Amino acid sequence: MIHFDNVTKVYANQNRPALDHVSVDVDKGEFVFLVGPSGSGKSTFLRLVLKEERPNSGAIHVAGKDLARLSNFKVPHLRRRIGCVFQDFRLLPNKNVYENVAFALEVIGKPRRFIRKVVPEVIELVGLEGKAHRMPDELSGGEQQRVAMARAFVNRPMILLADEPTGNIDPATSIGIMKVLDRINRTGTTVVMATHDAAIVDSMRKRVVELEDGKIVRDQSRGVYGQAY
Amino acid sequence: MRANFIFSEVWIGLRRNLTMTIAVIVTVAIAMALLGVGLMINAQVSRMKDFWSGRVEISTFLCKKDDPFAACKGSTGVDETQKQEIEAAIRALPQVENVTFENSATAYENFRTAYADNPVFVAAVQAEDMPESYQVKLKNPDEYVAVIDQLKAIKGVSNVVNHQAILDRFFGLLERLRWAALVVAGILVVSAFLLIGNTVRLSAYNRRRETGIMRLVGASNLYIQLPFVMEGVIAGLLGGVVAAVLLIISKVFLFESMAAYLAANSQLEWNDVAGVITLTMIIGVVICVIASFFTLRRYLKV
Repeated sequence: MIHFDNVTKVYANQNRPALDHVSVDVDKGEFVFLVGPSGSGKSTFLRLVLKEERPNSGAIHVAGKDLARLSNFKVPHLRRRIGCVFQDFRLLPNKNVYENVAFALEVIGKPRRFIRKVVPEVIELVGLEGKAHRMPDELSGGEQQRVAMARAFVNRPMILLADEPTGNIDPATSIGIMKVLDRINRTGTTVVMATHDAAIVDSMRKRVVELEDGKIVRDQSRGVYGQAY
Repeated sequence: MRANFIFSEVWIGLRRNLTMTIAVIVTVAIAMALLGVGLMINAQVSRMKDFWSGRVEISTFLCKKDDPFAACKGSTGVDETQKQEIEAAIRALPQVENVTFENSATAYENFRTAYADNPVFVAAVQAEDMPESYQVKLKNPDEYVAVIDQLKAIKGVSNVVNHQAILDRFFGLLERLRWAALVVAGILVVSAFLLIGNTVRLSAYNRRRETGIMRLVGASNLYIQLPFVMEGVIAGLLGGVVAAVLLIISKVFLFESMAAYLAANSQLEWNDVAGVITLTMIIGVVICVIASFFTLRRYLKV
């Protein structure tokens, strides 16, 4: 599903690479934690998958597409197959829960009948039934992140990228968020989650890829956050 | 593509940037109105040139008895043989196409019709006060300068009046007006361009959350950019409508009052005005679209 082959990314005006000859494979339906300290290259990895950045060398394949050969014109179609969740939720403050989720479908031109059908389903999937008409500022952080997940998942993407989704949320609420991610993963969606949260990684027992200074230092199935020898 | 979604986005964008939108509309309106006035003057001049080019003549007046003109000093009026000599001299000039004689009575008739609304003036002049003249038509009306000197040199000629020279002065004035209008219009087009660029940039900044999410969920570039371009188009169209009103006003109050001094059928027609309005509207909208696209390419990277 995601295939990195010897990928190096150096940002302009920086001499240290953000990713340094990284090769990794993520299969369809996998759940992968991307761990490592700040600046270790986790976000760069996610941005490369979305083709928001281009690698300086190496090849990236996402959903069977060679990103180097993907024209700018087709990048939006790639992104329709990838859902994204962020630490800061990125909801539209002047739209309610339903409208925020529906927005993702409206802007890719889905018919209204389809939107009316799938949006309530997804709102229920993330556990926000009955709150469709709340505004984002009337929701807790955990609930806002659920809205963001609903929006990321509403178009049934093949891949869900989560960049520290529990970074702004207390540990008790985080468990609920992880349950939703797990539920999404069980529908067959590949999930890649960058995180600092050791407790979550340890409790989930999923594959862990650890980055340090842009290099993969550990790739373990059913791993934990810290070094486990 | 969902039109009502796009239009609600456009409406939100225009409302959030109301002051900038008004600035764009006013600038586009004035720029297009001036451009339109320039084009209308152009149309007016070409109509007048068409009308006059077949009619321009040089009036060569003949001396009367006790004529005050210096060239006629001591003259007792021109008799028939002298008239024939003068006509022959005029016809001998290579630039001349045709010569017609106008006697006092005809001149008086023309004078009466020209000043029909001024009876006091008409009453003060007698038929015998009117000078006889030869109306000289040139093959090429622009070659009048040399001809006039030669005509003046003929004995028995009191004065030479060239209608072309009067027209040229008038056309020259119109030409300068047109250029002034076009230069100011050009400057305003540049400022309209920059203003639209700024408005779109502000709009893009105001909506960076929305556009960020749109990019993330895979909205196509067209879908992301269309609301911004439409904002420019609508501002341009509104500016064009205001410009059209200004042009109609200028047609009624400027060109029609000017037409009172001109020959009747050399007037600017309404379909000239319609053509100018259509053209300025198209130019206004095109400027807005181009300015929006240029700005978006810089501030809304995919």
